[in-house]
Amino acid sequence: MIFDLLLVAALLWSAVQALTTPDLFRAVVLFIIFGLLMALAWARLDAPDIALAEAAIGAGLTGALLLDAVAHLHKKRREQSP
Amino acid sequence: MDILDLLSAVLLIIGAAFFLAGTVGLLRFPDVYTRLHALTKADNLGLGFTVLGLVLQAPGVAAGFKLILVWLLALAASATLSFLIARRAFAKGITPWDPEEHEP
Amino acid sequence: MHCTHVVLDFGGTVTDLYLILAAFLLLNLLMALWRIARGPTPADRLLASLLFGTGGVAVLLLLAYAEGGQTLVDAALVFTLLAVITGAAFVRRVWGKEGNGHS
Repeated sequence: MIFDLLLVAALLWSAVQALTTPDLFRAVVLFIIFGLLMALAWARLDAPDIALAEAAIGAGLTGALLLDAVAHLHKKRREQSP
Repeated sequence: MDILDLLSAVLLIIGAAFFLAGTVGLLRFPDVYTRLHALTKADNLGLGFTVLGLVLQAPGVAAGFKLILVWLLALAASATLSFLIARRAFAKGITPWDPEEHEP
Repeated sequence: MHCTHVVLDFGGTVTDLYLILAAFLLLNLLMALWRIARGPTPADRLLASLLFGTGGVAVLLLLAYAEGGQTLVDAALVFTLLAVITGAAFVRRVWGKEGNGHS
């Protein structure tokens, strides 16, 4: 019970922070953490297959792709305003 | 009461204590290198003792080996990533924290 | 497999201990969120997310043995793989050689 409440609080907090933070890199890290917590939530909801998919696709692949996108954005911004 | 259960409970609690130490280190240490040091304590010893405690409860040999496989994978991952991050931090010119500079 | 609810001397079961420890580890991870908010370098934020990966593995393993879903051990394996992918992508792509370490 305590575990579930903590999980819900962490999910909500990381989601709000990921949406409102001005720093893009911090938002991506928070998104990865949101994915990990979501996988834990699926595991808790007795859906281990969805937890597996969420960890692999939601947090892992999407997180790596978003990190790459942030790197490209930074490079572009540096070229435009030297 | 089962002696195996007691042993596994003790190992699990030791593992949780190492996780606590790792988190406190991550929050309190002054720079990237020392924080890496704290993180690897949680990675290697915390997860190691947790896995060791759970292996005693494993339903079969295959399930036990799978748990140990998880730990070995985490060991390799944390060692590789620590090396990569520390090398890149050093290449970027972040100087390691020097206690003599920070004496009051 | 279902855990054999052996009663310990203090009145609880091993399964209770698993759930209590899982909640404790989750609380630990919430403390690490503070490091993400503080920074100061991107590497510090990534280190916190790596701690989330390892802590998530431990919580998943404890949940697997508390509720008897061995599939969760596979999910834990994926968690560890994921830490390598994000870490490598971070070092290779985001935290490049240029810059002063605080970009």
